Amino acid sequence: MNRYELGIVDTRNIIKTLQDVYNYDFKNYALTFFKRRVEKIITNHNLKDADGFIKKIETNKDFFEIFLQEMCVEDTEMFRDPSLWRVLKEELFPKIIHGAANFKIWFPEVSSGEELFSTAIILKKLNLLKNVQLITSSISELEIEKTKKGLFDPKKIEVNNPNFKRIFSEGELSDFYTHENDTAYWDTSLIENTKFIKQNIIFDDYPKGVKLVLFRNQMIYYNQILQERFIKIIYNSVVPGGHLIIGNHEKIDYWNSDKDYTLISKAESIYKKKLS
Amino acid sequence: MYKAVVIGGSAGSFQVITKILSSLPKNFPLPVLLCLHRLKHVRSGFVEALSIKSTIPIVEPYDKETIKPGKGYLAPSNYHMYVELNKRIALSTEEPVNHSRPSIDLTFETAAQAYRDKLVGIILSGANRDGAYGLKKLKHAGGLAIVQDPNECQVKTMTEASLKLTTVDHIFTTEQIISFLLKLK
Repeated sequence: MNRYELGIVDTRNIIKTLQDVYNYDFKNYALTFFKRRVEKIITNHNLKDADGFIKKIETNKDFFEIFLQEMCVEDTEMFRDPSLWRVLKEELFPKIIHGAANFKIWFPEVSSGEELFSTAIILKKLNLLKNVQLITSSISELEIEKTKKGLFDPKKIEVNNPNFKRIFSEGELSDFYTHENDTAYWDTSLIENTKFIKQNIIFDDYPKGVKLVLFRNQMIYYNQILQERFIKIIYNSVVPGGHLIIGNHEKIDYWNSDKDYTLISKAESIYKKKLS
Repeated sequence: MYKAVVIGGSAGSFQVITKILSSLPKNFPLPVLLCLHRLKHVRSGFVEALSIKSTIPIVEPYDKETIKPGKGYLAPSNYHMYVELNKRIALSTEEPVNHSRPSIDLTFETAAQAYRDKLVGIILSGANRDGAYGLKKLKHAGGLAIVQDPNECQVKTMTEASLKLTTVDHIFTTEQIISFLLKLK
């Protein structure tokens, strides 16, 4: 029952090591989250303490990749917040994507892929998938590989399927996945044109001319400094009149942010970039 | 001398919590952090129901919202609610703990790290063991641990699990919890 607990000095040493050895800067992650994730890794990998963690990660690139994957929070369900997905299906997607070509949708941190596949399934059902270019970024190469294969934990099915029914009265979610014993795979034809980008925490490069960004419940793992930096990058990525959707308990409220974005749905946290 | 109150509850705690919130003075000097188990798909209604009875304003906070005295912060549905060391709320969609999201353990544990011995923690009626470990961490950090009297609880599992894990400072009835809170300056 007693978990290993990381002190503040140890946490700072770990952040410094990651910066010095791998040039990944985690100092603007939310502290409680970062601490908790590292504590979990130390316990699960029997590393005893912060020194054990630092010794292992300094010399072991594979372990660093596992660490990056652990820093991506696994989505626990498809179609989280069904009311948002109903708005996307019934109002926003038909309105903004219909008749478009190469409509770019960007997921700045795709984590375990549920947001990507939820979007692709709705687009497929609306017959709009062919009009869209899906683009994803992630700090974790391992997570990208997993998403490309369409692999997901079949334990999620019991939450996923009822969520699907909250959005669609016709069809079954199982039209889009196969499940045998302990493995489940999404139909990867849904993402055959999806572009995957491996990124450092702050982007070396990011897509331009994006019409919609889906970035829900990822910035909650950053402090305000990093949140603001992401919002600025997204602002430069999105075309005027383009949309940004964040989690329903997140908001954009940096200084003068109302000059940049209009909140068009408070309930679902949908923002629209102003025209000029 | 205390800087915050954190309250955890599950099955059978709703009436207790509304009674507590309706008895606080309007100028209650501390923030009240509330982690109550709730239905995942019912996003609205709960904070409204608590607000009707409460004398202090109750909000479901945004991520990184600054915690202020005299205000109640209810963990939003389907999120964990953490307290950052700089006394801001941080939300999380990490996996459920004790089958719960929000998890009382996580709110208590992070609040204890932020407020150390300046924290009052109260565990109310509930049907699982969530909160017991968090109360232990709170006590270990020097906070004051209170558990609702199991004899008064609609469901005793949560309070009994807490009492088994921690030597608490007080076992109180709802009335005693209220009179204790009213004495806080």
